[in-house]
Amino acid sequence: MNISNELLEKYHLNTCTAEERRMVEEWLFNTDVGDLDTTILTQDKNSIKQEIWQEIETVLPQAVKPLPKRSNAYLMCKGAIAAAVLITIAGTIVYFVFASKPVAQADYLALNNPSALHVKYIDATGYDVALGPNTTAKINNIDGMIDLTGSIMISPKKDISLVFEGTDKKVTLLKGQTYIILKNKTGVKSIIVISERNLMDLPPVMQKQLSTQFDI
Amino acid sequence: MNFNSIIKFSIIAVFAFCFFGCKERKPANQKDAKYSLYILAKDGKEYLLTSNTLDSGELKPEISGVYLDPKDMDRDVFVKDGFFYHLNRKNNRFSKFKLENGKLITAGFLDIKDFSIENFNWIGKDSLLLTGLNLSGYNHSKYSFINTTKMETITQGDMEIPAPSGKYTTLSIGFVEKKGNALLVGYTYHLAQGVSNYLTSDTLYVSELSYPQMKLIGTQKDSRSTYPGGINTIQSYNFKDEKGDYYFQSCPGIALGNHPDLPTGIFKIEAGEKKIDPKYFFNISASKIKNHAYGMWYLGGNKAIIRSERKDLFKGLGDHYSTAHFEFYVLDLLTQSVTKLNLPLDKGTRRECVIVEGNTAYISVNSTREGNYIWLYNIKTGALKKGLQLGGDTDFIMRIDRLKD
Repeated sequence: MNISNELLEKYHLNTCTAEERRMVEEWLFNTDVGDLDTTILTQDKNSIKQEIWQEIETVLPQAVKPLPKRSNAYLMCKGAIAAAVLITIAGTIVYFVFASKPVAQADYLALNNPSALHVKYIDATGYDVALGPNTTAKINNIDGMIDLTGSIMISPKKDISLVFEGTDKKVTLLKGQTYIILKNKTGVKSIIVISERNLMDLPPVMQKQLSTQFDI
Repeated sequence: MNFNSIIKFSIIAVFAFCFFGCKERKPANQKDAKYSLYILAKDGKEYLLTSNTLDSGELKPEISGVYLDPKDMDRDVFVKDGFFYHLNRKNNRFSKFKLENGKLITAGFLDIKDFSIENFNWIGKDSLLLTGLNLSGYNHSKYSFINTTKMETITQGDMEIPAPSGKYTTLSIGFVEKKGNALLVGYTYHLAQGVSNYLTSDTLYVSELSYPQMKLIGTQKDSRSTYPGGINTIQSYNFKDEKGDYYFQSCPGIALGNHPDLPTGIFKIEAGEKKIDPKYFFNISASKIKNHAYGMWYLGGNKAIIRSERKDLFKGLGDHYSTAHFEFYVLDLLTQSVTKLNLPLDKGTRRECVIVEGNTAYISVNSTREGNYIWLYNIKTGALKKGLQLGGDTDFIMRIDRLKD
């Protein structure tokens, strides 16, 4: 059965005879592909390929002029800048992801040890703190305000200044030293801030209690 | 010699000068030095300095001092015949140290478990009696008798001092004095109320114990004052005069007894007696001093130096140690007259700060305005002059000791 292009065209234009229509439909719905004539395609494959490429080239942009070759120093410099930018970006991400949270937490430190017997040890960002029994301590690291009831032993990791809430008493605690801070009643007279090296200046009864409590 | 050679030679000469110069500044004869000075520097570091004289000159701890490791040493160290003795409460180690080649070297040690020294007494040249309390509660009296040549414990055990009872929970032993075959022990009781507050009994006690059995023979009470003496590894509170009369001070002020309504006083136990003289009481607080005092040193000839606080200059315990407010007075123990020494105000609540030699009393003063000096007090004439200066980083002269008698 020969189904020509012209016949297919007539079929689609609905101008073929009843006989021609029957033939085309028979061919269309037939699953047997053995009769398909592909000889033309094989012969013209190369010419068609060439035709297609020629058509594509008409819409392609003009060939880009190759870039002049850069020196090694230029490449290194560029690499360094890229690396610096990458490191900066990575560093910023790391800083905000890992560092910003603890700093934000350490701006205001609220510590509480409700135990009547045991000391609670806390490793905060700016200092190591041991909280005595029945002690609450609130430290604002931005303005250095401390509100304390009870006893703490504190070792700052850098020099810090503290102001006792409700008083004008200000103390500077030096990095690397250990201090005992006691406050039980309100008012400046009841506040004791003493370096561990001056502990023997406290009354021996208190000194013994503190040594036992904080294992000094 | 061209210009380059001169430059090279000069550089080498400067380096050599610095190197040898620095070496020479280190105390060369620490082993034979007469005095030691225990310094707390402004940065919290502690140093031991030695010197052959306290009369003049200047020492800087950061340059010529021996740095002390705070883990091993504290100012409750006492000195005899060139050796330093100290109990480390943390590891129970009682050590004997000597200074050699710019270092503190351990010359011997022994362990004393569960012990906090309240008083030390040299019973003989190398026989040391340590009296103290149990670390585990400060409510039980103990002793350790030590041969310091061999650094061996001869005997140790409990002292039959009545334990705290009633509302009282702990005690303080303020002095120990051997009288023949007896030991007189002065003490009082406390009620500890947390770390910030405590009460002291309004009575002081002197128990007579048999020696060396440490069995209780009898106890005398005295309520004219409280808190007899103090921990004598840190400061002196008692002495024996030429006649053998024994004097001790009571310390009810806030820095020791915390019973400030009672007066600071001086008590006497006469030679040959084992009881407090009921007729003798030197009321310091009622004298023109009008304050509490802590620390007392004998000058000879019935005269003593006392170190008293100025309650108008400090606010409380928080600034008691850091504010310069202490004054020195010379007392006549017989006439009970009082003479103020014209010294700058001194800081540091408790310090071993007086050495007496012949007619001179060396007094260390930590003045905020005038600096840290050893002052020379002429006992005969009453004249005062500045001696050795402790400069550089010095914050407190914590103690001065004679290394050899």
